[in-house]
Amino acid sequence: MQLFTKVTLSLFEGLGVTLKIFAMTLLMALPLGLVISLGSMSKFKVVKYPIKTLIWIIRGTPLMLQLIVFGLGPGLLGVRGMNMFVAVIIAFVLNYACYFAEIFRGGIESIPKGQYEAGAVLGLTKTQVFFKIILLQVIKRIIPPMGNEFLTLVKDTSLANTIMIYEITWNAKRMMNSEHILWPLFYSGVFYLVLCGIITLIFNYIEKKLDYYKG
Amino acid sequence: MAILEIKNIMKSFDKTEVLKDVSFSMEKGEVVSIIGSSGSGKTTLLRCINFLEKADKGQVVLNGEVIFDGAEKKKMTSEEIRRKQLNFGFVFQSFNLFPQYSAIENVVLAPKLLAKERPDFKHNKEEIYAEIEANAKRLLSSAGLETKYDNYPCELSGGQQQRVAICRALALSPEIMLFDEPTSALDPEITNEVLKVIKSLADEKMTMIIVTHEMAFARSVSDRIIFMDDGVIAEEGVPEEIFTAPKSRRLKEFLSNVRM
Ligand SMILES: Nc1ncnc2c1ncn2[C@@H]1O[C@H](COP(=O)(O)OP(=O)(O)O)[C@@H](O)[C@H]1O
Ligand SMILES: [Mg+2]
Repeated sequence: MQLFTKVTLSLFEGLGVTLKIFAMTLLMALPLGLVISLGSMSKFKVVKYPIKTLIWIIRGTPLMLQLIVFGLGPGLLGVRGMNMFVAVIIAFVLNYACYFAEIFRGGIESIPKGQYEAGAVLGLTKTQVFFKIILLQVIKRIIPPMGNEFLTLVKDTSLANTIMIYEITWNAKRMMNSEHILWPLFYSGVFYLVLCGIITLIFNYIEKKLDYYKG
Repeated sequence: MAILEIKNIMKSFDKTEVLKDVSFSMEKGEVVSIIGSSGSGKTTLLRCINFLEKADKGQVVLNGEVIFDGAEKKKMTSEEIRRKQLNFGFVFQSFNLFPQYSAIENVVLAPKLLAKERPDFKHNKEEIYAEIEANAKRLLSSAGLETKYDNYPCELSGGQQQRVAICRALALSPEIMLFDEPTSALDPEITNEVLKVIKSLADEKMTMIIVTHEMAFARSVSDRIIFMDDGVIAEEGVPEEIFTAPKSRRLKEFLSNVRM
């Protein structure tokens, strides 16, 4: 029983770190993703193509690789005292912002031109058209893919253990090694399952809320 | 004085000339129908009149004031364009209702946003909103939609949606209504419910330009018919002339091809 308590406490410590990565990533990657998506739709080529290239690179390479680059790269280049947690946040935010950007772009581009035109002929300003007409329709359309990204992010936080961030998986591994037992790994899985379960419930609720209209 | 004058409008997309020197004018209260085969430039003409498209050359004159001039080098700000668009009500072939808003919300959205620009808005907000809502209900009822105020577009038939769209345009009290094939997306048996609403507007002396393929309707409702062919006005006249004594070969061909 004492061992169980010990493992539980250790995993809860990890949970705190995991939630911190999760929350900080969302907090920064969502707005950054919106900016990147607007950039990728810009009519100015000098904005559009560099951003498209960035999205291509970030989505075309493993997050694990990006973590290592941001975590260990600065040290190799002679930058001292790079905080590993900061490196993790930079890598996650950049990575997720690019995925969010593509989801935003898909959502925005899926709104028929007629919606913008109907707003324009009714004398709405561009800002009013976006906030009063387009935005909610975009949100409704991107809720399902966003839900998937949120779930992926929960599980991706475990990658941070590769550069010595003590999140859930790292703690599970530590317990496994120090106590020579396997079950903390399965136990850590329960933590992810519960987190993903909560996220799924929240997204189902939002989807239901927006189900009052079709189209 | 003419309420609207269209002078030498030209418009190309890439290399294709879609409008080649189109001119006409209309009086207040007049109903003009534009007929012509698909691709002849009818939609583009309507869109050039209310700034959804920018003509390359020509002028649009409203009540004697030049509101668009293709020769003007200075670009109009989006605020100027917005102001000018408010002179026109536009009804799309595909309705373009806002799906997240109920019928009445679709109708009151723009008037309420516009009311915020009124100097007395802060003091009389409640009254202004109540007035806008009462007006919306009046419009929807007169279009036969008194039981549909709170229905969402997805809960309405095409004919009902288009009637809501007409009310939405009317709610801003435009000077001129522009209709782009308002019944083309509808099943034949429900086109009449929409045409009836447009007819009642004509009876109230609303100034209107109606692009339509409904020849019988055009004939009965219009003061004048414009026949467009390949980007030009090929023939123009009162309905009797156009339908019983067409002059140009193209109009004769066109009329023999459409159901009356
Ligand atoms: N945005 C556009 N870009 C390129 N070509 C267009 C565009 N809009 C219309 N056209 C072309 O202009 C011509 C006239 O179109 P339109 O005004 O829609 O005709 P109508 O309404 O009489 O059927 C068509 O050949 C059409 O393909
Ligand atoms: Mg057309």
